Amino acid sequence: MITLSNLQKTYSGVTVLDIPELTIKSGESFGLVGNNGAGKTTFFRLILDLIESSAGEILVDDIKVVRNDSWKTTVGSFLDEGFLIDFLTPEEYFSFVGKLYNKTQGDIDAFLESFKDFFNTEILGTKKLIRDFSKGNQKKIGIAAALLGDPKILILDEPFTALDPSSQIRLKRFLNDLHTRFQITMLISSHDLNHVTEVCKRIVILEKGKVVKDLTTGDDTLKELEAYFAV
Amino acid sequence: MIVTDLIRHEWKKSIRSQGFYKNLAVNTLLGFMTLYMAAILLFLGFSLDNMLEKAHSEYTPMELFNGALLYIMLGGLAIRFFMQQLNTINLPPYQVLPIKRRLLVNFLLIKPLFNPINYFHLFVVVPFAIQSVSKYYGVGVAVRFILLCVILVWSNSLLAAYFKRKFSSGFWGFLFIVILFVTLTALEYFKILSLFTISKVAFGFIVKTFYGLLIPVLVLVGAYFLNIIFFYKNFYPESFNSKITTQQKYQSDWSFLKRFGIIGEIIGVELKLILRHKRTKSILYMSGFFLFYGLIFYSNAAYADRPGFLFFVAMFVTGLLMLMFGQWVISWDSGHFDSLMTKNIPIRTYLEANYYMLLTFNVLCFVLTSPYFLFGIHVFYMHIAAFIFNSGVNIFLLLYLATYNTKRIDLSKSSAMNYQGTTFKSFLIVLPIMFVPIMTIYGITMISSMKVALLVLTFLGLLGIVFRKQLITICVKQFNNRKYALAEGFRKTE
Repeated sequence: MITLSNLQKTYSGVTVLDIPELTIKSGESFGLVGNNGAGKTTFFRLILDLIESSAGEILVDDIKVVRNDSWKTTVGSFLDEGFLIDFLTPEEYFSFVGKLYNKTQGDIDAFLESFKDFFNTEILGTKKLIRDFSKGNQKKIGIAAALLGDPKILILDEPFTALDPSSQIRLKRFLNDLHTRFQITMLISSHDLNHVTEVCKRIVILEKGKVVKDLTTGDDTLKELEAYFAV
Repeated sequence: MIVTDLIRHEWKKSIRSQGFYKNLAVNTLLGFMTLYMAAILLFLGFSLDNMLEKAHSEYTPMELFNGALLYIMLGGLAIRFFMQQLNTINLPPYQVLPIKRRLLVNFLLIKPLFNPINYFHLFVVVPFAIQSVSKYYGVGVAVRFILLCVILVWSNSLLAAYFKRKFSSGFWGFLFIVILFVTLTALEYFKILSLFTISKVAFGFIVKTFYGLLIPVLVLVGAYFLNIIFFYKNFYPESFNSKITTQQKYQSDWSFLKRFGIIGEIIGVELKLILRHKRTKSILYMSGFFLFYGLIFYSNAAYADRPGFLFFVAMFVTGLLMLMFGQWVISWDSGHFDSLMTKNIPIRTYLEANYYMLLTFNVLCFVLTSPYFLFGIHVFYMHIAAFIFNSGVNIFLLLYLATYNTKRIDLSKSSAMNYQGTTFKSFLIVLPIMFVPIMTIYGITMISSMKVALLVLTFLGLLGIVFRKQLITICVKQFNNRKYALAEGFRKTE
């Protein structure tokens, strides 16, 4: 469970994020949409304690995230390439991350086996360094690594961008499956309104750092979103 | 003109790179260092004639100079091969525009020749030519002598660029050049083949005959066409930003580190980082050279009564790798800092991993520098004291102060003499680490003896080792305070 209260982030006087109150319940699939500069990434970075809030606080499982290590055991995340260690091979990276979450090599191998279709023979066994992979494949590696520690909370920033069509469909199915089977809490931002409505049960629209709409996904949600963003 | 546009773009690229103005202090400092170098070279230029006259040799100063010239040229080529940065304009955006390929290639090749560093030798050559060469051989030869030196530097620059693009400067290249030099020196020493004589005769002929300069000009043209042919064959970016190396297959076994749990895993990643990036690798090579630093000072009686300085040397060689890598121990991770901060790594574990890595470096350097003990028991005492002080005090200072280096370090770019990621703070950090112990040594030796001074530093070092848990806790607190500044700084690419 994630609770935000009076959360504010300002950069040299300009408020880029201002959320008086927001609670994301355990097991919720939470979608975040908004145009560029709306504050989506700032929102995620604050939850991951990568930037310091100007005011307010964030609790994960009732513990403040600020300068704390304990939430790291339950949160899996992938925002951008900075979340990868790009001079390792994918195998080395997975093995490193797996060890951090007390996995044996056997666990890691079994985990990677379940990603076989998603990786589509392009990632494992190539002995290439992560930095030499395409953006799409790097994204796949990052998403897999985020899931490797059996997180209770999963945070992904625009996971569908740069993926090929088949991978997008696979990822959607995969996320839905994860959600129904393990009741994982998911926070996903997306520019693709179709995808986000298919994956998330709750969708929040951010604009200029403020929550302007908080919707429960239903049959009309896609239309409502499209109407909102229509120019 | 397209050429002027290209030059303007390059200028904008350097001016608009983030941190250019922020880094003004560092740039100013480097500017002063450059002036200092120029002054030294100028001084050398004016005194070279005098020095060579005193050499008790049957040859004239110019002949002596010419004799050394081939060595200077080969040495210069070797240094350039490792140090010279390849001039890479970001080609792809230009390749798709209607600009002639020939023009781009020429731009890429000729621009480095305008680098001021290629004309520094004139500070030596011109005064020498005026004072000495013209005295013996007349003005014509002096002018040709200067021109020869300019052409040689141009050829060297082009040749080095060619070799560098053709054979990326890896470990084997390094080894090859070391062996080449040892062989040449041995041949000269045992009078089997004297490069000195060859060089003296060849360059003497070149400057003394009117058309002699045609020969180096031919070499220059040859070097130019070598490059042109290379580019003709490899025009596409993947073949020429020397990306070839990144495609090599990586498979290494670090399983021995796995026994140490997560700390071992993190150290394994850090070591891979060092071995898989150009910049860190070149620091390793440079450290290899610096290990011999002690030879200059321990063998020289002139330094025997300067205990503070000798201790500085001892601290430098026994803590070489720690000092080289320690200051940026967090910055090295700038590219994947977010990854380390969000995965399940407690900050304490992260800092402990870095601590143990630096400690291992210290042990390694201490062992590698143990042959210096042959210079006497006093060196042994100094190394022991320096090793313990480094491992107990300096190591924590570095861990603590490293949190102030918030600039992202681009590991893939160029190699030696790379000041990217260096700020004024980086220089400030060195002060307490280097000068406090030296001052302590000086102070205590003045009122007591060197032995007491070493004992005091050893004791301080031991205190640090005993209280390492508490000291790491202080570093953890500091890290947590600086974490956001670090994360933000590391996200800014230059």
